[in-house]
This record gives sequence, structure tokens and C-alpha cells, in this order.
Amino acid sequence: MSAAYDVIGSRVPRKDAAPKATGQAVFIEDLRFKGELAGALLQSPHAHALIKSIDVSKAKALPGVVEVITAADVPRVKYGVSPARYDEDLFAVNKVRYVGDEIAAVAAEDLETALKAAALIKVEYEPLPRLLSVEEATAEGAPWIHDEFPNNVCAEVHQEFGDVATAFKECDLIQEGRFVSKRQDAAFIEPNQCVAIYGQDGMLTLHSSTQVPHYVQRTVSMVTGLPMSKVRVVKPYVGGGFGPKAAATPIDLAASFLALRSGRPVRMAYTREQVFSFGRARHGFTHEMKIGVKKDGSLMALEHRATLDGGAYSSFGIATVYYAGSLLGGPYKLPNMKYDGRRIYTNKPACGAQRGHGGVIARALFEQQLDIIAERLGMDPVELRLQNMMETGDVTCNDLAMSSLGMRQCIEAVAQGSGWKQKKGALPKGKGIGIACGFFVSGAGYPIYRSETYHCTVTIKADEDGGGVKVFTAAAEIGQGSDTTMAIIAAEALGIPYDMVRIESGDTDFGIDLGAYSSRTTLMTGHATKEAAENLKEVILGELAGELGIDRRRLDIKRGLVKIAGEAVDIAPLRVRYQKEHRGWLSQPEGGQLTFNEASRLACLRRGTLVATGKYKPPVLGGKFKGAAVGTSPAYGCSAQVAEVSVDMETGQITVERVTDAHDCGQAINLTSVEAQMQGSVAMGLGEALFEEVKFDEAGRVMNPSLGEYHIPTIMDMPAVDCIVVESGEPNGPFGAKEVGEGAIMPTIPAILNAVRDAVGLTIDETPLTPERIYMALKKAK
Amino acid sequence: MLLPSFTYHRPGGLAEALAMLDGFGGQAKLLAGGTDLLVNMKHGKQAPAQLIDLDGLAELKASGSRGDALELGAGLKAAAIAGGLGGAAPQALAQGAGALGSPQVRNRASLGGNLVTARPAADMCVPLLALGARVALVSPAGERQVDLPEFFLGPGLTALHPSEVLTRVLLAKPRPGEGSGYGKLGLRKALEIPLVNVAAWLALEADGKTIKEARVALGAAAPTPMLSPGAAKALAGATAGDDAFAAAAFAAAADARPIDDHRGSAEYRRDMVAALTKRCLGQALAQARGN
Repeated sequence: MSAAYDVIGSRVPRKDAAPKATGQAVFIEDLRFKGELAGALLQSPHAHALIKSIDVSKAKALPGVVEVITAADVPRVKYGVSPARYDEDLFAVNKVRYVGDEIAAVAAEDLETALKAAALIKVEYEPLPRLLSVEEATAEGAPWIHDEFPNNVCAEVHQEFGDVATAFKECDLIQEGRFVSKRQDAAFIEPNQCVAIYGQDGMLTLHSSTQVPHYVQRTVSMVTGLPMSKVRVVKPYVGGGFGPKAAATPIDLAASFLALRSGRPVRMAYTREQVFSFGRARHGFTHEMKIGVKKDGSLMALEHRATLDGGAYSSFGIATVYYAGSLLGGPYKLPNMKYDGRRIYTNKPACGAQRGHGGVIARALFEQQLDIIAERLGMDPVELRLQNMMETGDVTCNDLAMSSLGMRQCIEAVAQGSGWKQKKGALPKGKGIGIACGFFVSGAGYPIYRSETYHCTVTIKADEDGGGVKVFTAAAEIGQGSDTTMAIIAAEALGIPYDMVRIESGDTDFGIDLGAYSSRTTLMTGHATKEAAENLKEVILGELAGELGIDRRRLDIKRGLVKIAGEAVDIAPLRVRYQKEHRGWLSQPEGGQLTFNEASRLACLRRGTLVATGKYKPPVLGGKFKGAAVGTSPAYGCSAQVAEVSVDMETGQITVERVTDAHDCGQAINLTSVEAQMQGSVAMGLGEALFEEVKFDEAGRVMNPSLGEYHIPTIMDMPAVDCIVVESGEPNGPFGAKEVGEGAIMPTIPAILNAVRDAVGLTIDETPLTPERIYMALKKAK
Repeated sequence: MLLPSFTYHRPGGLAEALAMLDGFGGQAKLLAGGTDLLVNMKHGKQAPAQLIDLDGLAELKASGSRGDALELGAGLKAAAIAGGLGGAAPQALAQGAGALGSPQVRNRASLGGNLVTARPAADMCVPLLALGARVALVSPAGERQVDLPEFFLGPGLTALHPSEVLTRVLLAKPRPGEGSGYGKLGLRKALEIPLVNVAAWLALEADGKTIKEARVALGAAAPTPMLSPGAAKALAGATAGDDAFAAAAFAAAADARPIDDHRGSAEYRRDMVAALTKRCLGQALAQARGN
């Protein structure tokens, strides 16, 4: 624990630990409302088809059915994630674009009836050619999935920083590589679910399993036409998000319309199969790059191209294709960089944001190429990285400012912790060791929609009896621990123990908060919480100073006690007043110092309810070029990992035996939570590296839409993970803190790739690294 | 994705169960652990109007030995078999049961269910085939016993008649000088349907070196779990060791008739049949030699 702090950096138990361990935590599934209807969707069985007619008469006639709605019954409002690409209709208008595209929704007295009714809706289709790959979608003469987007190009990026062509001429060595990755799923444990309630007061309340109550509120408001003040979004506990829950879903919108029409609460839920067919998770990438270096290992230039298989709609995809470029600007000094990215529409579920948004495969290929460069130059991969890494104060060629960067500490920590020097080059065939680095934003510098809005506001209210405070934030606790983080920050800023802080979160009624994405909450909501707590402290101490007749600046609160600087002050009269109010109570304040309880109670007596607020938005950040907003952040976390693997040379099976992981989070708010994020990232990265692939059949249907056939790691697949927390002290973060949520996944895939390369002597350029892929590569090399 | 409606029956004994089965005339399905049946029903692949739960049948839970034979009740849970049944379970079978699904699945899945579901790579079917097991099928007309190679007819297809209940699995009691082993290949290390699985059994002559008899069973190599005649032939009379095992592995790969699907290619599966055969034989030999 940092000596300077009382609560920050400790291992206090999470606010949700007991309720989750005992099963008392409330998720959407646990919420029940009087008169609930069950909703169901009718989804397209075709990957690409025109809709000739829809007949809902049989569905409407089924006893127990309350509402049946199609595109004809809702306003024609296109929506999506980025206003530049609002390309979705809630219900298909004339055309379906993937297997699962929404056509209609039904509300009925029970789910069985709703499902039966949905199946009774008769739709006449005229199938169109299915475009299931980038190659098919970009082939000459391919039909356009969206009329507005010629040749199925959803988004294109062309950026150049410095002068790549000239720089390559000055290079001693040029390394070129290509990498193919597959579409992946976040496999969050709780499938999306929601309940919409339309009250007689004209208020629509949507309870939803989401990462972003605010964006859901905006989208529901925009699509339904209700003013935002008449839409409230509430998020109970959420079973994980990882990116795909960072936007309004069709069930959020359909349930809202069904509730508006029926006047009854409507519940809608995805099955696991529907989670897969809705998608919005990791894109499949084809990434190519060319890297130029000097003989001494100095990185000079990078030219790279990415093609993203986007699926049928944009979702977060524009940001994804930009991130795939911008996140190679660091953490190495790279003066020249050219990037061309394309995101292509295909007739599959839309891809979107997932942990390490857009940057994961670019990072994997780049770090793999660095190892090849090191080998070609006869350098140690650790040395090559140390030589090129950025330091605090450096700015990337694409204008990302590293206001703190403990990259060196991370690299040195994992090299030492793993025994790199003894192992690298000394392991037997089939055993390997690999290192990789990464960095990531601590919150997107700008909201998804163009706005000058604060990114978050926080309200803190003192309990009237003086016994504690309650923090109100719209931030989204989705299992990552933001409630705990905010409670710790409030406790530290106020100078009171952690258990005196209660928290309410995830409700748009509590203010604005852009939500849990881009690893933003600790830094951004943390700032707002800190400011609110400091303001509350100011109010309390101001009142106390007035009562005592001394200068406010002599007062402070530490560990729940009032510190008075300078000459002694008689606190007895105040204590007596407090005690008189509590005649008969067993516990009374004791000792020579006033307690926070007494001070806060006194302030309430003088002023009534005590409320203070805080807010945060980043300063203007980044460059002026097109797309400069993507990648800007007030701070960047960074990390390094060393993976040790063994490869079964007869079967191709890879076992990751150990990962040594160092992450610079600026300042740990809760050390246990930081380590948990690091371990979770390793698990997720390991699964993406070794097992995970969403597969489609020739009709565009997901072939493995279950957690039995879509393989995420089990505990049996997890290596020992040694977590080393590096604290560089981020000047732009609250108490020096920055992200650990997404950046921690960046090095995992390339560290494993590099370790496998070390073990088998082959460069594998495609994930997942299934036993078959490894075995066949070994067989071919024989 | 909702379970379709059905009538649930819980007979207290085998005779009652058989009578019910007979009475429903093909409308009923037997429910053991439900780890296959209920999942299929949720996916709309099966919709029996009547479910007869066998969990209340004490006759199906017993295991014990009768002379040289080991009898395992079809109602035994995979978890119990994985635990070794007090040392009675042959090594390959215990390994197979322990490799099935997850602890939760193993607590529900039954031996009989795994056999009648008859997936080509079922974790208990492949070891039982190598162990030379047969099954007892009981109907109101009486009991018949069927060797496993005749029991498996195709994916999900068996010789079980609609009026029959699989009550017991019969196999020879493990003796000194014999050993067995099981190997499974999947993407991850648990909760996995095998990409390929292999089980091997062998018996040594008194010299402790010569193989008297051996069987190698392959999963995911054909529409049903299959025995490799080539491997058995290569091993019989050979000196146990790497050479014989390599020859058996080669023969097993030649016997395998795997297909290409999204889980893996036929070429890879065939090569893995060879790799796993060698390993399983190694395990079996180690056990046969008592180490």
C-alpha cells in the first residue's frame, strides 16, 4: 500500500463481493414486475434476402398475444453507434442482411406463446446472393448490402505520419508479415436481457444488462421519439460486457416499443444462440505490415494495411478500423507510420468493440515481427524493445501524448520475473518463451457522438446522521469493479474509512456517465468522484470552521477524524451537542479528536442536506488530422508479458505454462482488482490466441453458437499468472491512476505467438493456434 | 429454446419401468442423466410426449463382480466411475469417465446414457469397446446380451429396441498382466467433445514382454466408436514396446475412416489416431507391468 494513502492501493473487499458470493446480487433475471409480458423476436433465417411480404395475422390471432410489431409499426429512424454510420433499422425494411436480422417482435402473456406467435408470422423472402467473406463482398459485380455504401466498403482510413517512403530508403532491414485472425465472441456469462416499463406518468424505464446506460438512453430516446428526460435506463448487476454490450440492442428497443404500446412491462432476453447471432464482438482481421529498422535496431518506419470483415452493420466498426491503425503509434518510438484500413460489409452479424478495441491483432502481428527483426539482427527481443520504447513525456507520431509510461519498468519486471536471461535460447525443442508489450487508452478522449458534454458527473450526499456518505453515479459496474473503485476514491478524498461509503450506480437518473468502455471509468468517473468528495469535504469543514470560529485551512479529515492544525481548540461543546442528540446510545464518540460523524452531523444541522457534485471531461486532445479523435486519451496504460509454453510436437497441442505480467496502471486503486483485471485479460487473450473462432456454414449461420462448441479457456487451461503492478503515477489521473481494463490483453496473444515460435521454430500467421494448425505447420516443415 | 412439454414418470423399479415403456408404445423416452436428451429437447431435435426417469431404479445403480466378470449398473454416474469405483473400474474407463464434460456434467451423466446416445467419440464408449464390454438389454420378454461392436450401429443408433432398457455393462475383471489407457484430444483441456479419442487394452504373457492379446478402440474415426482390427493384429504376439506400438499406431490410422468437418480435418484426425494409439498403449503397458 502506498504510504501516502489510507484506502487507495489497499486490498479492501469489493462492494459486490458478499452479494455475489451469497447470490443476493440482483441481475435482470432477478427483477420481476407486476403484469410482465414476455417478448420474442422474429429473426431472419436468410443471410441476404429481399422481404416480399410479411403477414402477422396468424400471430395476432393466437390467444395470449398482446402486441405484434414490424417495421410498419415503428418510426423509420436509423440508428447505430456512430452518428456517421447510423445504418440500422430496428426491424428490417424490405431487406434482411444477416441470419438473425430482426423482422418483428411479439409480446405475449408468456414466453411460450410469444415464441409460438413469432413462428406464426409469415414472411415471403426473395433470396439474394450471400456475401460471407471479404473476398465475396469485394468481388466485382457483388451486390451492395447497403445501397448507401458502394462496393460494400463500410469505412476506409488512409493516414500517413512522417514520410514512410523516404524512411524505408534509410533502413538497413525491412521485415514484412501478414496475419489472419477470426471473428471472436466475448462470451460474457450473462446473455443480454431487458425489461421495459412505460408508466402512466409518461416515463419509460428500461432495465437493461448494458455497459452504457447513457448511450442506451440516447438511442431509445432517438428511435422512439420520447424526450431523453422521459427515458430512464437502469442497469442492475451485469454479468460481463467486454465491449459487445456497449450499445443499445434490438431487444432494448423492441421491448421499449412493446411496453409503450401495451402499457405493460415487457421482458426480452437473448438466448446464448442469439448472443452469437447478434454478434458485435471482435472483428476478423487480415493485417499486413512492413517494418523498417536500422542495423542497431532503431525502428524507423511502419507501413500497414488492415481489412476487417465487418458483418452487416457498422456498430463500433469505424472506431475499430481507426484503432487498428492508431494503436501502433506506441509504445515504441516510431517516427514514420502509414496506415490503410478498410472495413467491409458482409452478410454476417455485425462486429463491434471488444476488449483491446481494434488493436489486438495489429499488436499481435507487430510484436511477432519485432521478434523476427530481433532474430535477423542478432539481438535479444527484450533488448530490441528496451531500445525502442517510449518514455514518459514522449508523443507518438500520431499525436498521442504519453503523460506517464512505465514501459521500461514493465519490460524489466517481466524479464526478471520470468528468468528470461536464463531461459531464452536455452530451452529444449517444444518449449518456448516469448515477450510482448502493449499500451492502451485510459478512456476515449471524445464521446461517441459529437458533443461538449461532460463525460461523467457524480453526486455525493452525506448521511444526515453524519455516519457516512452515499455516492451516486451513472457509471456502469459490469463486474470490473467500478463501484469499489469509486467508493475507495470517495473514501480517500473525504478522509473516511471505506465502509462509510455506500454507492448507487448505473442509473441515468444519477447524472451522465458515458459508461464502461474504452477503459475510461477509473480515470474519468474517478476524477468526478474525487472532485465531488473534495467538494463535500469542503462544505463540511467550512461549516465546522464556522462553528469553531477558526480558519478553515486549519482543518482536515483523516481516517474518519478531524485534524486541527495549530493551537488546541476546545471541542467539548460540539461533542456535548452530539451526545445530547444520542442520549441512551451505547456508542459515543471518544478521544480527543472530533470524528467525521460529529463534523458531518453538525454541518447537516447548520445547512440541511449536504450534497456535492463532481464532473469530468478531458481537455482538448490529439491532432487535427481525420480520425485523430480515435486513440486520443488523457493517459495511456502499458504492459509487458512473458509467456512460457510447451508444445506437444506429436499433436500440436499448446500448453501455456506460465505468464509473467506487468502492467502500469499509474496507481492501483484496489490492488486485488488490478490483479484480477490482469488475470482476466490473460484468460481472454489466451482463449483468443489458442481456441476461439466463431464459425459459419455456407448459409451464413453460426455453427458453434454455444459455450460447448465456442471454446473459451477453462481453469484447466489457465497458466499460473504472476502479476506485477507498476505504478508510474499518471499526472492526468485521479490519485495518479489510469487503465488496466483493456490494455492488459494487448501483449497476451503476441507473447504466446512468440513463445510458440521459440518452441517450434516456425512463424504461425493465423489464429487461433489450434493443435491442428500447429501440427500441420510442423508436418509441412518436415 | 424452451423445453417442450412432456409427462414425467418416475418408476420405482425396473419391472414398472419396462411396463410403462411398453404401455406408451414408442411415445416415451428414457431419462437417465439428461445431459444429452434434455439438451436435444431444448433444441427441438426430440420431442417425446412421455419421459420415464430411470434415476429411481436401484437395479441400475449397483456395481459388483460375478466370477471373472465385472458388472456395472447403467445408472452409475460418470463422476462415480471417474472416481474408480473403489478400484474396480478399469483404468481406461475411469479416465474416459473423468474426461467427460465438466464436474457438473459428470455428476449427472450416466454410463448407460453415454452408451445409448452412441456418439462416435463418446468418452465412455471408446474405453468400453477396448475393454471388450458387452451390454445387458432387458425387455418384458427377458434379457439379452450384446457385444459393443454389434451394439453401435451409427451416430445415435444402437441395437437397443424401443421396448428395452440397458441395465448393465459387463466386462472382464482386470487381472494382473493386463492394462488399459485412454487418450483424448480436444482444443482445450476440459469440457470438450473429443476431436479424436483412443483407448487401448492389452494383456501380457507370463513373460511380461509378449503381448497375448490387445484391443485398440477409436473415437471420431468412423460413424461409430470402432475397434481397429489392424492394431489388434499388429500387437498380438509382438514384443510390447515402441516398435510394436508404432506398428499398431500405423495400422490404427489405416483402419480409421475419419471425415473433414469444422472441428478438424480427416488428415489431422488420422495422424492423431496414430499419436494417441501409441500413448494409450504406453499407458496400458505401464499398468500391465504394475508401474
